[in-house]
Amino acid sequence: MTAGGATFALALNSEIVPEPAGLQAALLDWITVPYILGGLVAWRHRPDSRFGPLMVAAGFAMFISSFQWVEAALPYTIGLAFDLVPAVLVMHVFLAFPGGRLERQSEQVVVAAAYAAAIGLQLVKMLLGGVWGENLLAVVTEQAAANTVQDVQLITISALALTAVVLLVTRRRETGRPLRRSVALLVDSFALALVMIAALLLAGAFELPAFETIRRITFVTVGIAPVAFLIGLLDARLARSAVGDLVVELRADPGPAELRDALARALGDPSLTLLYWLPEFESWADLDGRDAALPLRGDDRATTLIDRDGVRLAALVHDRSLGDEPARLEAVSAAAGIALENGRLHVELRARLEELKGSRRRVLEASQFERQRLERNLHDGAQQRLIALSLELGRIEQRLEGHPEAVSRLEQARGEIALSLEELRDVARGIHPAVVSGHGLEVALESLAARATLPVRLAVDLDGRLQERIEVAAYYVVSESLANVGKHAKASSATVDVSRRNGALVVEVVDDGVGGADSERGTGLRGLADRVEALGGRLRVWTPRGGGTRVRAEIPCG
Amino acid sequence: MRVAMAEDSVLLREGLARLLDDAGFEVVAQCEDADSLLRRVSAQHVDVAIVDIRLPPTHQDEGLRAAIELRERHPSIGVLVLSQYVEPGLAMRLLADSAEGAGYLLKDRISDVKEFVAAVRRVAEGGSAIDPVIVSTLLSRRRSDDPLETLTPREREVLELMATGSSNQGIADALVITLRAVEKYVSSIFGKLGLPSTGSESRRVLAVLMFLRS
Repeated sequence: MTAGGATFALALNSEIVPEPAGLQAALLDWITVPYILGGLVAWRHRPDSRFGPLMVAAGFAMFISSFQWVEAALPYTIGLAFDLVPAVLVMHVFLAFPGGRLERQSEQVVVAAAYAAAIGLQLVKMLLGGVWGENLLAVVTEQAAANTVQDVQLITISALALTAVVLLVTRRRETGRPLRRSVALLVDSFALALVMIAALLLAGAFELPAFETIRRITFVTVGIAPVAFLIGLLDARLARSAVGDLVVELRADPGPAELRDALARALGDPSLTLLYWLPEFESWADLDGRDAALPLRGDDRATTLIDRDGVRLAALVHDRSLGDEPARLEAVSAAAGIALENGRLHVELRARLEELKGSRRRVLEASQFERQRLERNLHDGAQQRLIALSLELGRIEQRLEGHPEAVSRLEQARGEIALSLEELRDVARGIHPAVVSGHGLEVALESLAARATLPVRLAVDLDGRLQERIEVAAYYVVSESLANVGKHAKASSATVDVSRRNGALVVEVVDDGVGGADSERGTGLRGLADRVEALGGRLRVWTPRGGGTRVRAEIPCG
Repeated sequence: MRVAMAEDSVLLREGLARLLDDAGFEVVAQCEDADSLLRRVSAQHVDVAIVDIRLPPTHQDEGLRAAIELRERHPSIGVLVLSQYVEPGLAMRLLADSAEGAGYLLKDRISDVKEFVAAVRRVAEGGSAIDPVIVSTLLSRRRSDDPLETLTPREREVLELMATGSSNQGIADALVITLRAVEKYVSSIFGKLGLPSTGSESRRVLAVLMFLRS
C-alpha cells in the first residue's frame, strides 16, 4: 500500500513524467500494487512456493524503477539502473508460474540472458553517460556508443520476451489446455503482456512516434496478469465448496467408478484417474483390478498419493495444473478416505478375479497343449506301428496263398489289429479333435453332424480360420450338445448355427426335444461353460420343460 | 503303372513301397512331404499318387492341400489320400465336383492287400475309391422323410458298394450275383432316390455321396 501510495505521489509530483500526470500515476500503480498484493496473497496461500515472493519482488522492482521520475540525483540514478529490471522480473514470474521455479533449462537460459541484458548493459550504458538527467554513474559522455548499447539492449530483451512467449505456448501445447478457465485466462494474459513488452522495447529502440500509446497499453496488459491471478485464487476458493458436495455424494457409498467420477467433479478434473495400491500384489491397479503404472516424473500428468494411517492407499493421477491447488487436493483426499478404502477392497477383489481368469485360461491352454501332444504321439506312434504291423501281416498273407489255415489266422490277427486301431482312433479323437486343428471348424462340424444320431441341420457362416483354441472350444460345445440331445432330449431334429457376430464366435445348438435338462446333463454343460468362460466368453442354456433345449455360446474372437 | 507317394513315417513308406512293388507297380517317388511330392510329380510321368493327409511341416492340412492341387494341376493323375481319420467333410473337399481318379481311404485299408491294390489301380485308371466308413457314416445319418427307408436290404448293399466306387462287375463279384442283377438294382435305387441315372461309375459315386450328405 505504502509503495503504491508513494509511487502515486511520486508520479503526480514529478515534472519529468509524461503528461497527463494523473493517468501516468494511475498506470504506475496499476502495475505495482496488484503484483505486491497478488504476491502477498500467493505467499500466504503457499508459503513453500517461491512464486509469491517473486511476484512481490516484481512489484517492488516496478516501484524502485519509478524513482527515475524523481529529479534528485541519487533516487534518479537508482531508478534508472532498475529501468528494465521489472520487465525481466515479469518475464521471470510468468515463466515460473505456477511452482515459482524455472523448471526447464530453456527457461533458465532465457531469463538469465534477460537479466544480464537488463542490468549489465544498463550499467554499461549509464557509465557511458548515455542518458539524460543527473546520472551519478556517468564516467564519460559517449552519447553515440551509449545509444548503440541501448539499441542492442532493447532489441535483445525484446527478442528474449518473444522467446518467452514461444516457451509459454510450447509448454501449453505439451501439457494441454489448463483445466480451469481462470488458469487458461492467466496464461493468455502472460503471453499478451510479454508480447506488449517486446513491442514497447522495440518501439523504444526504433523511436517510434506511437511509443507513448504503446507504453500505456503495455502497462495495462502487464497489470492484468496479477489481477487474473487473484481471480484464479478466488475461483479456487469457490471450487473448494465442491468438496462439500463430495462429502454428500460419498454418503451414498458409491462403487469404484462412481467414486472416481465424484472425485473428478470435486477436483474439477474430468481426466482424473484413480489408482489403488494393492499391498498383496505390490502394485498399482486401475478400477478393473488390472496392473497400472504411475506417470513418470516429467510427464504431463501429476500424481497425488493418498495415505491413510500411514499406509499407502491410493493415487490420484491428475492434470498438472491441479498441483497449484494443494489445499483442494488435500481436502478431497481427506474427505474420500473411507470411501477409498472400500474402493480398494472392490479393486482388490477384481484383481484377484483377473488373476483367477488368467490362471484358468492358462490351465485350459496347458491341458489343450498336452492333449494335442498326446494325440500326436498316438498318431505318429502306436497307430502308425499297428498299421505297419498289419501291412506286414497282409504281405505275409499274400505269400501264403496255398495255406488256407495260416491265411485265415493271419486274417483274424489283422481283424484284431483293425479293432485296436478303431478303439485307438476313438480314444485319440476324444483326447483332441485333430480334424479341427488340421482342417478347421466347418469340416469338423460336418462330420459331427453326419455322425449324429438324429437329423442335424448345420449352418456355418465363417470366412477363414479362427484361433485354434476358439475353434476347439466351439467344436466341444457342438459335440457335447449333440451328444446330450441324442442321450436325453428325445428330439426329432436339431439345428447347429455357427457364425461370427460383433467380434464373437456365436455357436447355437437347438433341439425340439423335451427340454428340462437334468443334473446329469448339467455337469457336461458345466465343463463346457468352464471352457468357454476361460476364453472370456459365456455359455447359456435355455431348457424349458417340454420346450426343447437351446445352448448358446459366445466366444470373443477379435 | 507308375506310383508316387508322400508319407512321413519311414516304416509305412517302405512297407507301402514293398507292397506296391510286389503287386507289380513301379514306385517312382517316395517323398517325406507335400512339396517334394508336387515337384517329383511335375518332373516325371506318374499314373497315381498316394498321399498321407497329415504331412510335415505342421501336420495340419498339407497333405489334403497337396492332393487337391495335384488334382487341379494334373487331372490325368489319380490321387489317393490316406488318413487315420476319415471325415465325410474332407472327402467332399477332395472330390469337389468330380470323383474321377480320386480316392480317400482309411490308412488301415493297406493291410488288405488285394482290396487296396485294386483300389490303387481303380484310381489310377480314373475310377474312385471312397472308404466304406465314410459311406456307412453318411448312410447311418438320420433324415426326416428318408427315401433310404424304401430301399430293400439288397439294394442298400448295392448302394454302399456303389458309393465306395466299386464297378458293377465289382459289386456282382462281391455280392455273388449276376451283372444283370446288379444293373437292375442300380436303376431301381436311382429311381427310388430320385437321382438321374448317370453314365460313368465315378459320376454316380459323386451323385450318391452328394445325396447321402444332403
